[in-house]
Amino acid sequence: MSKECDVFIVGGGAAGMESALTLGDMGYSVMLAEKEPSIGGKMILLSKVFPTLDCASCIATPKMAATYHHPQVTTLVHTEVQDIRKTERGTFRVRLRRKPTYVKFDQCTGCQKCELACTVAIPDQFNFDLVARRAAYIPFPQAVPKKAVIERHGTSPCSFSCPAGIKAHGYVSLIRSGLFEEAMELILEDVPIPGVLGRACYAPCETECCRGELEGAVPIRQLKRFAADHYYERYPEPRHGPPEQKQAGSVAVVGSGPAGLSAAYHLARQGYQVTVFEAEDEPGGMLRYAIPAYRVPNEVLDRDIKNVTALGVKIVTGRRIERLSELKNEGFDAIFLACGTAADRKMGVPGEDLEGVFGSLEFLGRVNRGEKLDLSGKIVLVVGGGNVAIDSARSARRLGAKRVIIQYRRSRPEMPALDWEIEAAEEEGVEFQYLKAPTRFIGRDGKLAEVESIAMELGEPDESGRRRPMPIAGSETTMPVDVVVTAIGLVPATGFLEGEVETEGNGRIRVDETTLQSATPGVFAGGDVVTGPSSIVGALAQGKRAAHYIARYLRGEDLGEDAFDVRLPMVDKAEVLARQQTYTTLPALGRKERPPEARVGDFEETEIPLSESEARESARRCLDCGGCSECHQCISACPAEAIDLTGGGGEEEIEAGSVVMATGYRLFDPVDKVQYGYGRHPNVITAMQMDRLLAPTRPFNTVLRPSDGKVPDNIAYILCTGSRDCQVNNELCSRVCCMYTIKQAQLVMGALPLADITIYSIDIRAFGKGFEEFYQQAKAMGVYFINGSRVAKVEPGENGNLIVHYENVAGDGKVTKAEHDLVVLSVGLLPNLEALSLFSGDGLEADAHNYVREVDEDHSPGRTSIEGVYVAGSAAAAMDIPDTIVHAGAAAALAAAHVEKVKR
Amino acid sequence: MTEKMRDPREVMREEMFMRDKVLAALREGPKTVPEIAEAVGFPVHEVMYWVMAARKYGYIKESAQPNDEDYYQYSLVEQEQESEP
Ligand SMILES: Cc1cc2nc3c(=O)[nH]c(=O)nc-3n(C[C@H](O)[C@H](O)[C@H](O)COP(=O)(O)OP(=O)(O)OC[C@H]3O[C@@H](n4cnc5c(N)ncnc54)[C@H](O)[C@@H]3O)c2cc1C
Ligand code: SF4
Ligand code: SF4
Repeated sequence: MSKECDVFIVGGGAAGMESALTLGDMGYSVMLAEKEPSIGGKMILLSKVFPTLDCASCIATPKMAATYHHPQVTTLVHTEVQDIRKTERGTFRVRLRRKPTYVKFDQCTGCQKCELACTVAIPDQFNFDLVARRAAYIPFPQAVPKKAVIERHGTSPCSFSCPAGIKAHGYVSLIRSGLFEEAMELILEDVPIPGVLGRACYAPCETECCRGELEGAVPIRQLKRFAADHYYERYPEPRHGPPEQKQAGSVAVVGSGPAGLSAAYHLARQGYQVTVFEAEDEPGGMLRYAIPAYRVPNEVLDRDIKNVTALGVKIVTGRRIERLSELKNEGFDAIFLACGTAADRKMGVPGEDLEGVFGSLEFLGRVNRGEKLDLSGKIVLVVGGGNVAIDSARSARRLGAKRVIIQYRRSRPEMPALDWEIEAAEEEGVEFQYLKAPTRFIGRDGKLAEVESIAMELGEPDESGRRRPMPIAGSETTMPVDVVVTAIGLVPATGFLEGEVETEGNGRIRVDETTLQSATPGVFAGGDVVTGPSSIVGALAQGKRAAHYIARYLRGEDLGEDAFDVRLPMVDKAEVLARQQTYTTLPALGRKERPPEARVGDFEETEIPLSESEARESARRCLDCGGCSECHQCISACPAEAIDLTGGGGEEEIEAGSVVMATGYRLFDPVDKVQYGYGRHPNVITAMQMDRLLAPTRPFNTVLRPSDGKVPDNIAYILCTGSRDCQVNNELCSRVCCMYTIKQAQLVMGALPLADITIYSIDIRAFGKGFEEFYQQAKAMGVYFINGSRVAKVEPGENGNLIVHYENVAGDGKVTKAEHDLVVLSVGLLPNLEALSLFSGDGLEADAHNYVREVDEDHSPGRTSIEGVYVAGSAAAAMDIPDTIVHAGAAAALAAAHVEKVKR
Repeated sequence: MTEKMRDPREVMREEMFMRDKVLAALREGPKTVPEIAEAVGFPVHEVMYWVMAARKYGYIKESAQPNDEDYYQYSLVEQEQESEP
């Protein structure tokens, strides 16, 4: 359903507010859309107004409040007009985008606690980048409405790429702030086992990290380990207990690997009773029995698992579930199968059952159980190219093998193992034989003695996209070996489920991809038993997803209806990188391992953790891609529970009788006037920045030089920067710069009585009421005017001072130099081009200077090329506040007349 | 001051990394912005952003008057006792 109003006003600055109040007082229904989170436009940001020197916010604030609270006026802030179209009936259809605020306005009290807690600093556009604000912010102290909004451009690539939904950017920004415990607690919102992940995750976040496009990714995984280690050192026991709120429903989880632990954790956090059944003697699945201790020590796994058991989850070990009916008989309401891939794929070559030939799980399992396998002096051959092969080979080295050889049937680029793992194995002396595979294991007295292998070449790519290895006939060779470990893939052992749950040919359990429910209602499955061998974080993600849908199942809700992943789309990386114009090269630290000679001698952890300063230094490199990092500090800080990071906002359509365009002006960007040095010398600022420095809500404690905080005592103003200047394609006079400059000069003299002020100008235009007197007053106060001058360039001098080179056109015509300690550029006003692009159909016409064209400027200012559309204030031409108010009144009257005419 | 200035966005982003260092420098007593810069080892115009943000958000305050060289000194704001509203 679309809403209606008599007059729709675009823009909530001085003009828009004035038109709205006038029309509202006449009794028309008015809607006003402002794209910023507060109304007030640029006026509310000014110090004082000329020539009266009245306080700008004292004038603007009551108008803002009156507009916002006017019974006839609906004010929509943070709202962009997408498109305006005239209907056949002569009315206007306005399409709006309410930008999400991520804060519930009806609950926000404007206390600013979120802003104080926020961990992301962003230049404050309302202070023209002189100081930072936060991603969560209230625009300025007098904002109307005084509500916080959060700047989000999307989900940061790291957080978006985490299958388990860990807010990677969030914990990186917490670590950057030194909030280490908060970082860990944020991670624990999504996964129970940060200690393991911080060591053994494949870190898809780092692959996506935007900083990776510069000099190297942020070490996101190692930062997680840092947060976990830091936390566990302080808290050997979890800080949380079981949740207070219990829910009816009990769940049996089969398997205590990451998928099972994750499901149990998330269900228990919601108050459900969970029992995990584990066939082995200890929980952890592959984490304990496959991944070697030099990568993940058992103590770390044990502490991680405590995060699950502290919630009241029971883990029953040493119990292999043989039939699901056992569990149903025990009264469980739902079952989650997370039994992983428990068996090695067979190679299918002769001799595989000889003594001395192991499957990788058997081999790693025995090692991890602490069995004393002595391989000293032996030759070990590992078959395969994945991480399991690498783990097996590196473990064999640690057991004293003389030679460890990995045979892989493709070449190095095709190898699925991670590069750094391959390199680590090489450093430890593991030999790699590429394009080679065993064809036969040869025994002597039933014991392995030799292996026969064949050479391969790469043919056409197969379904996996990798080139298919083809044996080269007649290339067989043999070599002596003592032990073979086959690591060519893992498969589920789900035979026990036959007749109870549907499985695929390869033993994987068939489930609905979204809900993870199997064909048997109430029986869910996830992790490697569904996906085949994947990753720890992939299994955690499945456990979390299953918990979400199991909870819905237990509550008797429809499983199909609810979206599980509510993340915003990923931020556009090109946009992030474009924002990062210049950056300091801060090289990535890289991984560090103990020296190879030392580490092959034991099963102690090989990776050297980041120190506290390395961690913060690394987190410092984060680019804050998405804006807000989702660190959740604001959520904890907000007493009104007003934060909602999932968004809100949306599109709306309004039907209006008439439209007033009050879109204002934009300021000239002096970066385009290269010779003035703006953006290169910190002490060259714009007059808008100076107005901020003079305003009561100023960014510094007083007028100070941005280069060093010194109180300036010799300030120069350069008038007509970007106005009356064909070089920058603007020949118009901006009408306000002379007067605002004189205003500032008077205010500076008041604030800094000892300061000298020089104003370089072509001439001074003091045309309005009281303007000439204002000018004379400034002269009498000692402001020094060099009229008839043109500034050629501004160059850096000593101590942050600036040398102004100017040509005294009116005087001797020579180029003269003068030294100042602060240079203010009196920048001009330019048309806001956005206004023109809003209309579809017959567009809104522009005048020769790209302001909205007033078709009958002399007799009826405010009338535009579209009947029913009027322009108010500086959208029509550069003008000061009093002229704007008059102009807005005229536009309001025209709009009212149009509404009446159409009604009749 | 001739070296290329860093993107203000990048400098501001580092406020969260630098705040502790700035505050630690002030623990020894009030300092001007150039003195803080000296203590933390970063360019003065960058430190200015971090000092002014720390002031904006209530961590530090300025002296009543600038010193003889026209610089204000900044000092730590005593952290108020956490009181429940
Ligand atoms: C050597 C090796 C190294 C790896 N390294 C990494 C790595 O560095 N990073 C990474 O991300 N991934 C790694 N992985 C992959 C990762 O371990 C798996 O993706 C992950 O463990 C899968 O989790 P899961 O919970 O589905 O299965 P599992 O971890 O296999 O857990 C299943 C559990 O269920 C139990 N179970 C099975 N059947 C029953 C039953 N009937 N009754 C009761 N209990 C039962 C099992 O005993 C086991 O404890 C590695 C895998 C291996 C083999
Ligand atoms: S989630 Fe964190 S980064 Fe985002 S607005 Fe809240 S406090 Fe700031
Ligand atoms: S730069 Fe920061 S926010 Fe961006 S992807 Fe990397 S860690 Fe995440």
